[in-house]
Amino acid sequence: MLPPYVYLILNILVNFAVFLIVTLSLNLETGYAGIPQFGRVLAVLAGAIVAGAVPGRLIAYYIGEKWGAEYANHLYNFPIVDRINREILAPNPLLSIGILLFTLVVAAIFGGILGYLSSYPALRLKEAYLGITLLAFGDALQIIGKYWQPLVGATMGVTVPDPYRCIGIGAEKTIGATLIFLGFAILIYLFVESLGRSPFGRALKAMRDSEVAAEVYGKNIVRLRGWALIIGGAIAAVGGALWAFYAGSMKALTYDRLTWTFWPWAFMMLGGTGNNFGVFVGVLIFSTVRSLIYVYKHALATIIPIKPAWLEYILVGLVIVLISLFRPQGFIPEKPALSVKRKEIERIKEAITSKKAEA
Amino acid sequence: MSSERRRYILETKDLTKAFGGLVAVNHVNIKVERNKMTMLMGPNGAGKTTFVNVCTGVLKPDEGEVIFDGRDITGWPPHDVYKAGFVRTFQVPEPFLKLTVLDNVLVAIGNKGENPFRGAIKWLWIREEKENIEKAFKILDAVGLADLWDRQAFTLGAGQLKMLEIARALATGAKLIALDEPIGGTDPAYANDILSYVKGLLKIWDVSFLLIEHRIDIALPFADYVYVMDRGKVIAEGLPDEVANNPKVIEIYIGE
Ligand SMILES: Nc1ncnc2c1ncn2[C@@H]1O[C@H](COP(=O)(O)OP(=O)(O)OP(=O)(O)O)[C@@H](O)[C@H]1O
Ligand SMILES: [Mg+2]
Repeated sequence: MLPPYVYLILNILVNFAVFLIVTLSLNLETGYAGIPQFGRVLAVLAGAIVAGAVPGRLIAYYIGEKWGAEYANHLYNFPIVDRINREILAPNPLLSIGILLFTLVVAAIFGGILGYLSSYPALRLKEAYLGITLLAFGDALQIIGKYWQPLVGATMGVTVPDPYRCIGIGAEKTIGATLIFLGFAILIYLFVESLGRSPFGRALKAMRDSEVAAEVYGKNIVRLRGWALIIGGAIAAVGGALWAFYAGSMKALTYDRLTWTFWPWAFMMLGGTGNNFGVFVGVLIFSTVRSLIYVYKHALATIIPIKPAWLEYILVGLVIVLISLFRPQGFIPEKPALSVKRKEIERIKEAITSKKAEA
Repeated sequence: MSSERRRYILETKDLTKAFGGLVAVNHVNIKVERNKMTMLMGPNGAGKTTFVNVCTGVLKPDEGEVIFDGRDITGWPPHDVYKAGFVRTFQVPEPFLKLTVLDNVLVAIGNKGENPFRGAIKWLWIREEKENIEKAFKILDAVGLADLWDRQAFTLGAGQLKMLEIARALATGAKLIALDEPIGGTDPAYANDILSYVKGLLKIWDVSFLLIEHRIDIALPFADYVYVMDRGKVIAEGLPDEVANNPKVIEIYIGE
């Protein structure tokens, strides 16, 4: 057993990791590309569904267990996955890594496809209408997941195979899984940051700032928006799949829009839209506060007159209101992202302006 | 290409665009000669901006044809018109507000790294980027924005935004650039400098201009050929002094 504060730190870290991934994906679509993505939960849930439905079935098929519709029935599901974890994954680190990566790739593809499909309404609808449509998409998938048992067990959910079992059980595993999660989050951060500083990221911002000027200056809006939605959807789905693996079970019920759409919006608004470091800071602050509320909910219950669970709701609302009122650009406002080092740019500039001065 | 096509970079045939009952552009036939500065003038609401919008695909025409560089580009989306080599500026500036002055120009120039697969790998686009930065500074220097390169566009004043509009368009290296009232609101001396600079480019670049201007006193001397629009129609065309002495034109401008 580890001391409680270690668990608190692990809890903060894992929350930070998952929400960093999801909020970065939101920021790419909303902060960079200007798409009102109010259905972030859609791709997150899609990724979680992939984690709940695909790897377990694959291994079940391989070892001759039920893998069809029955797989998702809780009567069979738990014993099958338990056997998978003990007999297949625990002794096989390489296979575990393979299963983890394979699932993430499938999740990314699935999330990307959903993103691509969202680009159809994204071309035809403007602002609020688009936001509401995307929100409805997210809810629709949740309803399917919640009521269609053969997919991921409906209200009972499914147990997700555990690729971290090979690390051990108990504290070791928790630490290992958390660090791996964090590693993925950092990789994704580096990826979106390099995209953001590239001509691609700049073109997205241009489209966001003036669609008509971007078009006149050669940007294919349909394609740019499609790419933002595909990449954003893929990243969010990877976040969802990692979360389901970490949790060890997958219930569509828990992928609600408060947690996976509105929270990420609040994180992004708090930290600063259109800049990944802002998102980093926003998520760090928020996930710390959230974890503290969660861990100390019993202590809190004795000192505040409302249920601590409500504190989260109040917090998200309060942050959105206060930020919009007093600091709409967030803690860390969007700064110009230079594609080339400032010195280098100054050097090019000097070379040109001085040449002209001589002439 | 016929010799006619070789001579003119842009030609519209009966180009028409209506907003409800208002025919903003009414069977307009305009030809823009290569390597020349063609001017389009006319009072407020004549349909000049609408004409440019219809030519560049920002609006779809109701009728007529747009022939650019020997190709029928009627109804093409703006990004394809750009690729064909035709860009325009905006009368009311449309900057990328949060981007720097330099980035505004770099967006207009374009880079292969705008494809996300290339974008993620810096060495695939960095060389092109540096070349573009060089191009951008040449233009920014000419319009007096070089020292403001790292300012976000929303911090610029109205006159500077006008210059940014010009800089973006010139930097594209397009074959035809439509300048929609590029010097509106700038003082006459500066407006003169800018127009001489733009006009001078005709000698060193393979470019043509369609200059839309209100202030004929400043602009007319730079024009090689002039069209005058009023209430959606071309009412006069010719060399600058012919047009300046045309009674119909005088009437509109005095009547205004
Ligand atoms: N999007 C639009 N919807 C409806 N009417 C429009 C639209 N754009 C322009 N108009 C109308 O079409 C007519 C021509 O406008 P346009 O902007 O082309 O004139 P202009 O010659 O550019 O004038 P200015 O010198 O003031 O820029 C005007 O009466 C204007 O009100
Ligand atoms: Mg106009």
